[in-house]
Amino acid sequence: MILFRNLFLVLWIVINVSTVTGASLQEQILDARDRVLPALVHIQPVIKNYSTGQLEKQAVIGSGVIFHPDGYVVTNYHVAGKAERIICTLSDKEQVQATYIGGDPLTDLAVIQLDLSDYDDTLVVAEFGDSDSIEVGQFVLAMGSPLSLSRSVSAGVISTRDRFFNDNVRLPTGERTGRYNLWIQTDAAINPGNSGGPLVDLSGRVIGINSRATIFANNLGFAIPVNIVREVTTAILEKGEVVRSWIGIHCQALQELEEFFKTDRDIGVLVSSIDPGSPAETSFLKAGDVILEIDSVPVSARFLEELPAFYNRIAKHKPGSELAVKVLRGDETYSFKITTKQLGDIQGEDFEAEGWGFTVKDITRQMQIENNLKDSLGVLVKGVKPGSIAAIGSLRPSDVIIKVNQTNIIGFTDFVTVYNDLKDTAEKKILLTVNRSGGTRYVLLKFNQVVEEQKDE
Amino acid sequence: MNKPLISVVTVWLTITIILFSMPVVQSQEFDFELLEQKVQSFAVIINMKLEVSFGIHTAEQSERYLGTIVNRDGMVIFNGTSLTSNAGLPAFSGFTVKTNPTYIEVSTLDGKTYEAEYIGVERFTGIGFIQIKGGSDQFTPVEFKGDQEFRTGDWLSLFMLLPEFINPPLAADVGMISTLIESPEHFPLTVGFNSLQTTAVLFNGDLQPVGVLGALMDPSMANTDPSGLLESFGQFGIPLLGVITAERLQRMIADPPRQGVVDRGWLGISLQALTRDMVEYWGLDLSGGIIVNEIMSESPAEKAGLAVGDIISQINGQQIEVDKEEKLPVFQRLMAELGPGAAVELTVIRRSETRIDTLSLLATLEAAPMAAADADEYECKSLEFNVRNMVFADYMANNLEAETFNGVVVSKLKMGGPANVGGLRIGDIIQRIGDSEISSVEEAELIMTEIETAQPAEVIFFIWRQNQTLFVNVKTNW
Repeated sequence: MILFRNLFLVLWIVINVSTVTGASLQEQILDARDRVLPALVHIQPVIKNYSTGQLEKQAVIGSGVIFHPDGYVVTNYHVAGKAERIICTLSDKEQVQATYIGGDPLTDLAVIQLDLSDYDDTLVVAEFGDSDSIEVGQFVLAMGSPLSLSRSVSAGVISTRDRFFNDNVRLPTGERTGRYNLWIQTDAAINPGNSGGPLVDLSGRVIGINSRATIFANNLGFAIPVNIVREVTTAILEKGEVVRSWIGIHCQALQELEEFFKTDRDIGVLVSSIDPGSPAETSFLKAGDVILEIDSVPVSARFLEELPAFYNRIAKHKPGSELAVKVLRGDETYSFKITTKQLGDIQGEDFEAEGWGFTVKDITRQMQIENNLKDSLGVLVKGVKPGSIAAIGSLRPSDVIIKVNQTNIIGFTDFVTVYNDLKDTAEKKILLTVNRSGGTRYVLLKFNQVVEEQKDE
Repeated sequence: MNKPLISVVTVWLTITIILFSMPVVQSQEFDFELLEQKVQSFAVIINMKLEVSFGIHTAEQSERYLGTIVNRDGMVIFNGTSLTSNAGLPAFSGFTVKTNPTYIEVSTLDGKTYEAEYIGVERFTGIGFIQIKGGSDQFTPVEFKGDQEFRTGDWLSLFMLLPEFINPPLAADVGMISTLIESPEHFPLTVGFNSLQTTAVLFNGDLQPVGVLGALMDPSMANTDPSGLLESFGQFGIPLLGVITAERLQRMIADPPRQGVVDRGWLGISLQALTRDMVEYWGLDLSGGIIVNEIMSESPAEKAGLAVGDIISQINGQQIEVDKEEKLPVFQRLMAELGPGAAVELTVIRRSETRIDTLSLLATLEAAPMAAADADEYECKSLEFNVRNMVFADYMANNLEAETFNGVVVSKLKMGGPANVGGLRIGDIIQRIGDSEISSVEEAELIMTEIETAQPAEVIFFIWRQNQTLFVNVKTNW
C-alpha cells in the first residue's frame, strides 16, 4: 500500500514536473495538433434522401478521424449514415474512397473504412482519450471542415462536460438522438461541416466527436464523449451495429418529486411513461413507479444528466433476457422481472416506387410507437412527389399502405414485390388501401392521367 | 406643375371616374332614397368588445359591425365570421382560439342605444346572432321575401357600413347575379360586392329584401380537420360571394344557433368522395357517393350497421352526387341540417370480392360532438390555469381510447403564473392531480379547491403530452 502510494507520488511529481518544465500553451497546442491533424479526414458522402417522394442524391460535407490502423474512420451518423458513396480527403490532400461500415443514429455515430489500396503513405491513427476525466475550463481543439473548409483547427475550452438534451432532438436525417449519451459542450468554434470531427485535448487525444452546434449562437458546440464513441465503434467493428435491450420506459429526474414519491435524495429512478406494446407495459411496472434497483444494483437519477447512464444500463442488458427490477410504489416495494426485447432499428428501410411517384419505409417497432400506429403492418409513405399520380390520387406522407389492389401488404418486402410485379404491367388503375389517422382510405393511381397531362404540356 | 403630368393626372382621373361610375350608369334604376328610408327601421350599428384567447395569450379587441334587426323582439344578425369557435383552426393538440364577446352595444340609425347579448354563430354561413336586452315586440324588423326567382343579370343592392369617423354611416352599393351555381350547392353568385359587405341585406330591383350576402361553402379546409368531422369550413382564399336566400335565413332566425348548444346532426363516420375513377375501378353504376372510411364507436353509423368500405349512395331516397372531395361538405351539411334525432334511410352499396350488395340501413342521427372551444371549462385562479373537458376531437387527434383514457385539457395558462412556471403547457391532458384521478372539470375543481384549502408547497400533476406521460411539479405561491 505504501509502495503504491509512493509510486503514485513519484508519478504525480513526474507529471507535474513535465507540465511545469514542459511546453508552453502554444507548444502544447502545436503538439496536440501534430498528433491528431494528420488523422483528420474531410468526408464528402453522397447521401440518399427519400423524403420528397423520390430518391434524391445529395452531396454533403463532414469530418472524421482515423482511429484504427485498418483505415477505420469515425464520423457522425448524420454525415455518413445514408451514404451511397463516400469520397474522403486525407490531411495530406490525397483523396480516397471509403465504404460505410455501420452506424448508430441514437448516438449519432458512424464508422467508415478508407480504401487504402492506392494510398502509399503511412496512415496516422488518432488516439482516444478518456472523456470521464476531462474538466470544465480545460483547453481543447476542434478539428474538421467548417463550411467545407478542410483541415481547420479551432480552439476553446470545455464549457460543460455533461450537457443533457432530451431525446426529442432529431438528427438532420430525421432520427431521434441523444437518449444514451450526454454531450461535451465547448466554445471552440464548431460550424456545419465540423460534424464528425474530433475534439482534442492538449495531450493530443480525442475526447469527443463534434456533432452539433447552435445556429445563431456564439460558440455553443457539442461533442459526443469519446467513451461513448469507443463503445459504439467497438460494437460496430465487432457486430456491425450497436445491439441494445429495450423495455419501453421513459424516465424523468426525481429532483423536486422526491417528497411526493416518498424517496430520498439519490435513490431511485422515476418511471414517467411506458410505451404501448412494450415489455414494460406487459410487466408489473407502472408510470409513477420509482425503480430502486436493476439486477440488484441500486440506481438513481435525481437529475436529468443521470438519465442516459440509466438507459444505458438497461440497453446493455442482453436482449431477450430477464431484467430484475425492484420498485417503490407508494409505501411498498415490489420485485419482479421484465424480459427485455432488442431495441431494433429506429428507422426502417427506404424504397422508391419510382413509377408511382412516392417513397415508402419499412415500419419498425420504434416507428410504430413514434407514429402512434396500432400495429406495424404495411409500409409507411415517406414522401409523395408533387405532381405525380400518387399526388393526384391524394396519397399523403404518413399514410400506411395496407393493400395494393387485392394484395395485402404485411411488410416491406410484400410492397417491393407487388411494386415490381405491377410496375411494368399494362394496368391503368391501381388501388391502394391506406390507413390514415385511424381510418381507411382508398387512393387510386390512374396511369394514363399523367401521360395525358404530359401531352398537354 | 408641368403639362405632361397634368395630362396624365387628367386621363387617370377620367378613367377612374368612368370606372367608378360605370355600375351606377349600367344598373337598373334603384330608388336609393326610398331604400334608405326602408333600411332606417332595421339597420343597426353594433359595437362589440371581444376577448380573444389564443393559447397563452388573451387580447381584448373592439369590433364594429352593420347589423340587421330580424324580429320584433330585437334579434340582430351580423357578420360573425370572426366569432366562430376555432375559426379555421382544427382542434390539433388541444389548441383553441376562443372568441368571447364581453360587451355588445346596438345603436339604431335614429340614435337609440341598447345593450345586447350574444346568441351564437351559424357555422356554415358565419352569420352571427345577438339579442337586444329587454327588447320585446317593439322593433320593425326586415321582412325577407321568399320565393325570389334569381336570374343571371338581375341587379341587387345593399348598404355597407363606413368607417366610424364618416357621417352618414351607410353607403349603398350595387351588384349583379353573375350565375346560378348548381353544384356543390344551389347558390346565386354575385359580382360587384366584396367580402367586407358579408351579411348585408340584399334588395332586388323592387327594393324587396331577398337575402343576405354570403359565401359559397368553401371546402378548402375540409380535409385538415383531424376528427374527420369537417367541423370547420374555413374561409380561405377569395370567397365566392352570393345570396344566402330568405328561406335559409328564415329557418335560422326561427331557431338560431346557440353557443355551446350542438344542434347539428351527426352520423359518426369519416368519409371520402366516390370519384368517377373509383366507380370505374369497382365497376359500379353510380354517379357519386360517400365512401365510409371509419366508423366512430357508439355512433349512429355503428348502430345502423354501416361498415368501413361501404358506399352511401342515397339519403332518404335522394341520390348523393359527391364525386369529388370538394363536394363532401354537401353531405356534411345535409347531415348537420337534418339535425339530431332525425331518422335517415341510407342506401348503401357493400362490395366484396365476389359480389356487390345494395342495402337499406336506418340511422338516427345524434348531436355532433362538441367543439373544444365549447367544452366546459374551469379556471383555477390560484395556480393560474384553465382546463376544459376532453372532446371527441381530442380522442381522434391523439389516437386515444375514449373508454379508457380520462383527463382534462389545459386550455389556458397565464404567462408567469405558477402553472406556467411549473411546466404545464397548453394542450397537456391532466390525468391526475396529486393522487386523484381527474376525468372532468368538476373533479378538477373539487380537487383544486381542496388543495387551495390545504395550501401545500407544491402540487404534482400527472399529465399526458405527445404520446408520453410525465409528472409536473407546480410550486405554489399562496
